[in-house]
Amino acid sequence: MTDLVVPQGVAEVAPTRMSPRDLAAEAVAGIFARPGRTVLTVLGTVLGIGALVATLGVANTAGNQIVGRFDELAATSVVVTNEQGFFGGGGDVRASIPIDAETRLLRLNGVAAAGSMGPVDVGAALVRSVPIPDPLAQTEFQLSVYGGSPGLLEAVRGELSTGRWFDWGHTDRADRVAILGTGAAQRLNVTRVDQQPVVFIGDDAFVVIGILDEVQRQPELLNAVLIPEGTARDMYGYQSASTVQIDVEIGAASLIAEQAPVALSPDEPTLLRVQKPPEPEDLRRDVEGDVNALFLLLGGVSLLVGAIGIANVTLVSVLERVGEIGLRRALGAARRHVAGQFLMESTAMGLVGGIIGASLGVLVVVAISAARTWTPVLDPAVPLLAPLIGALTGLVAGLYPALRAAALEPVEALRSG
Amino acid sequence: MSPGAPVVELKDVGRTFSAGDVSVPALTGASLTVNRGDYLAVVGPSGSGKSTMLNLIGLLDRPTHGSYLFEGIDTSYLEEGQRAGLRSRRIGFVFQSFHLLAHRTVIENVMLSTIYNGMPRADRVPAAETALIRVGLSRRMDFMPTRLSGGERQRVAIARALVTRPALLLADEPTGNLDSATGGAMLDLFDELRADGLTLMVVTHDSQVSTHAERAVHLRDGRIVEST
Repeated sequence: MTDLVVPQGVAEVAPTRMSPRDLAAEAVAGIFARPGRTVLTVLGTVLGIGALVATLGVANTAGNQIVGRFDELAATSVVVTNEQGFFGGGGDVRASIPIDAETRLLRLNGVAAAGSMGPVDVGAALVRSVPIPDPLAQTEFQLSVYGGSPGLLEAVRGELSTGRWFDWGHTDRADRVAILGTGAAQRLNVTRVDQQPVVFIGDDAFVVIGILDEVQRQPELLNAVLIPEGTARDMYGYQSASTVQIDVEIGAASLIAEQAPVALSPDEPTLLRVQKPPEPEDLRRDVEGDVNALFLLLGGVSLLVGAIGIANVTLVSVLERVGEIGLRRALGAARRHVAGQFLMESTAMGLVGGIIGASLGVLVVVAISAARTWTPVLDPAVPLLAPLIGALTGLVAGLYPALRAAALEPVEALRSG
Repeated sequence: MSPGAPVVELKDVGRTFSAGDVSVPALTGASLTVNRGDYLAVVGPSGSGKSTMLNLIGLLDRPTHGSYLFEGIDTSYLEEGQRAGLRSRRIGFVFQSFHLLAHRTVIENVMLSTIYNGMPRADRVPAAETALIRVGLSRRMDFMPTRLSGGERQRVAIARALVTRPALLLADEPTGNLDSATGGAMLDLFDELRADGLTLMVVTHDSQVSTHAERAVHLRDGRIVEST
């Protein structure tokens, strides 16, 4: 029981202490003692963190880029086609697209432009631009003939190289006018319209009023001869357009895809088929998911390798500095001071690796974006959290070596050093 | 710490090392008193328990038997942190292999002892300079240890031990890695420090050292065989 009585003076002996600033200074000095080795050690973390940041950034950027493309063209395109009487048999079951399709659709909120079109059955008639057969050259061509509505040019986002598009007057009066797609114009050797050139479909003459240079949708128009739908009905028994191209405002595609068939054919809307763009959000998620899963795994593996590298080097450093550890213990360092110093060294290496890695990762994202002329997109949390992850890696990696260092007996440590 | 108490008082101290079932007594029944201002040599062949005794006295190890009073305080009641605290403030160590940090300058090496004993930052450089001047290295303060001779390195180590103004300087074979001329100079330095009032305890098998010391303790097979 006498053991419980603490002799005089024992309680007054102050324990050893070390300021955090001194601890940090010792850790930094330890890192810079062998700069070359520190650089190599940090490299693993740099690669790991860099790969992670670059992966997330590139996936983010690419996902955004894909959505951006869809926004531009596909996301604003809705196409309505009428099913040919495939299952019903006979023309009665077929829904017909009315001649005023364009007007009906423009009443819908969210439609920017609309135009209808359809192939015109001209029989076996060939198209030529000169009335006399030339024995030396081909003058007659088999070209498709399409009926088109006045709003079609805008709906397919087309551009005329010369001349004009037809208007409601042409189609109401069934004027004999035609517009040539750029491919058809080349074949027929028509390059200008100011002298009102004429093309013949079979034996019917049409005045060329414009040449279609380029379209972003319905590219078959570029090799065709286009006539007003009214003219086609009047001359060739054209019954109904086969396709309605709608240019919708961004975000309205789903709504218009639902409404358009009802507006066009209120009695039989289900007979019309609608093509609408995929939902952009789903698409982006899919793309990011695919890219992330693979590359995050790679980044994780390189981070693990980096951590093992730090652990390895810190352990070697502990074994190498056994004498120093013993000396520090003799000078009054507690076990926790020794452990703290090595932990801080490995954590600092991880932190530095994380900072450099995050910077390189961001640079990679920017470089890839620049090469592809993409807009770099990166969640700001990624480069900000990356150094923390690096530091955490260093901390975990340093745990075992630090405990080894703290467990050393000063007596043996001093002898072996 | 009572002012009149001896710096070191060993009462029937023993240390037994056990590995598994085998226990080896390294030191048995050692009783010893070192008073303030003493200059004591611990002499004996290798394996005689010199280092064990030094580690016990330096608070780097705990005895398995007996009690050890340092400046009147029974050290067996001290926590590990308190023992480290005493080491940092009251005991200075000098080792045979110097144990200088190769990547730090001479003055940084000396200041290393001050970071564990709570010396205010502003006092560290002056204290280290004073210690280096005391051992005669005022012109080498910014050198790296690798550029110093063996004798100079040992002087740096002594300065490092002196910078905290310890009550006891413990030296483990301080001349073991030095040629006899340099070793002699080292012993002259110890004499000077002794004259300044420092308590010195030197473990050695060098007979030259024991002639400088006023007292010698001879160890053989873990026992004190002769004490003068």
